[in-house]
Amino acid sequence: MKPWAIYGITQKVTESFNKTKKDVKHISPVFRKSLHIFPIDAGNDNELNFEMSALSAPQYNIHRFGIFFTDSPRHADVLLILGKVSEKMVEPLRETINQLPEPFGIVIIENNEDFGISAKDLNLPNVIGYYAKKLEASEILSVLLNIMEDK
Amino acid sequence: MRLLGIIDKKDSRLMLIQNKNNFFVEEESKEKFDNYELVKNRDAGIGNPMKNGEGVFNFRYGPVTAGVGEAGIFNICTYGEKMLSINIDTAYKQRNLEEKMIGKTPNYALALAESISGNFAFSHSLAFSRAIERLLRIKTNSTTQRTRIIALELERIYNHIHVISKLSNRAAQNVLTSHLEWIFEECLRINKVFGSSRFLKGINRIGGIDIKEDVNLDEILNRIKNVKSKFEDLYIHSLKSWNFVDRIYKTAVIDKKKAYSIGITGPSLRACGIACDLREYEGLYDNFSIVTKEDGDSLSRMEVRAQEILNSCDIIVSQIGNLGNQDSNSLDNQDNKQNTESDYSVGFAESPSGIIADYVEMKDGLINSVYISTPSVFGYKAFTDSAEGYIFTDFSFALDSFGINFADCAR
Repeated sequence: MKPWAIYGITQKVTESFNKTKKDVKHISPVFRKSLHIFPIDAGNDNELNFEMSALSAPQYNIHRFGIFFTDSPRHADVLLILGKVSEKMVEPLRETINQLPEPFGIVIIENNEDFGISAKDLNLPNVIGYYAKKLEASEILSVLLNIMEDK
Repeated sequence: MRLLGIIDKKDSRLMLIQNKNNFFVEEESKEKFDNYELVKNRDAGIGNPMKNGEGVFNFRYGPVTAGVGEAGIFNICTYGEKMLSINIDTAYKQRNLEEKMIGKTPNYALALAESISGNFAFSHSLAFSRAIERLLRIKTNSTTQRTRIIALELERIYNHIHVISKLSNRAAQNVLTSHLEWIFEECLRINKVFGSSRFLKGINRIGGIDIKEDVNLDEILNRIKNVKSKFEDLYIHSLKSWNFVDRIYKTAVIDKKKAYSIGITGPSLRACGIACDLREYEGLYDNFSIVTKEDGDSLSRMEVRAQEILNSCDIIVSQIGNLGNQDSNSLDNQDNKQNTESDYSVGFAESPSGIIADYVEMKDGLINSVYISTPSVFGYKAFTDSAEGYIFTDFSFALDSFGINFADCAR
């Protein structure tokens, strides 16, 4: 097999992506070309965490749209709350939101049938999207692209 | 003999014990097993006591991190470089699902068992449904059993790929990581072709399995073969990259004795040279072989997983080929020496990271008592023990190689 660097460019694995319309609010025109996201696990059963891992797969190639994962909420434009919130996670979640720079948006993705406190009931600021059913990686990408849309 | 759980009863405690494919309960006796305290206090915290010394402090990692990505806390005792001891708090993910099953119908409880851990959804569902089937004396036919084997192996493949891609990501092997992530996403898509959920949820039921009516098995077959050949290439090539191998070689070593005393199962145990896999007791696996490695380090654990991916692909191919055959000896691995007159039953499955065992009691058609033993409890203990003495940069190579998660551990 060829060395890594050459192997990397001989395979074309990125797919074209057709975004679908999602019910989500815009935050600001400054995010038209780039969006930094930070997912927080609020107590989901790991399925959504795995979907976030799948989102970084080269099939989606989210970097071409200007979407990047950040390592800290202090660098994030959008906070993705994954799953219903377990009792002990309420405080860490609020503190994470305190750390977000303005302007920011919060997207809540959870499963109605799960147990825990719905993040919708926590009176969180700047909630721009709420989904009561688990989303797949491609749907999450559509949501993010809808946030970035120019209006 | 391995202690998997301690079940609290009104005025006594029972121990859930495994001996090969025989699972049973007996009266509590503290001296019998080294991991008694670990199993008993699995919800109170896992790990080792804090250490004192000059400049030693508690570095608290979690519950909001990008590195681990799951809600849980690692209390790492350190003076800045070495991890002297680690203690884990899993309470942030506790959903008390076992408690919520009490008084519910088996079908409702099955859905809860599935939601313990999304990435082990099928294994949990299989273990629980087997327990109920056994209790209600429901026989499953060989097509159901073969379909379940396919689903179980599909789950194993995507979990193992995820573990290896995380390891390579931590070692900054970007090309390898990208291609492994491609395979990971491809595996999730294959799952969706098979059973309409990317995580194989909602297909298993008590007494059977519902896959799509118009499922295209040829498509699954071709895509699995493609995954196998692509992964094989990448894997062989990755072992030539010393940057990668050096990071995981001799990292977080567990020896045989330690592995036995903690009670770990799955690939982590097989990487210590112990051939133990529940699948060997199932009659319908035609081409199954146990993979073992000797070193017990992160590299061995990765090698075992890599080899299992290739084996699982072969198993899926052969099971799809035999799906229509009606076997006369279609014994599920349920058939063992457990007393059939008892009012409890234990169902089990070999999940991607080890043994899942579900102890279930029923009364008047409703669940009366449940205890679920998950592999992550033992995995976290093995991680805390093995990572001690290593430096911070080894943290993720140690943790990720066990393939464990908080959701599975905290339930």
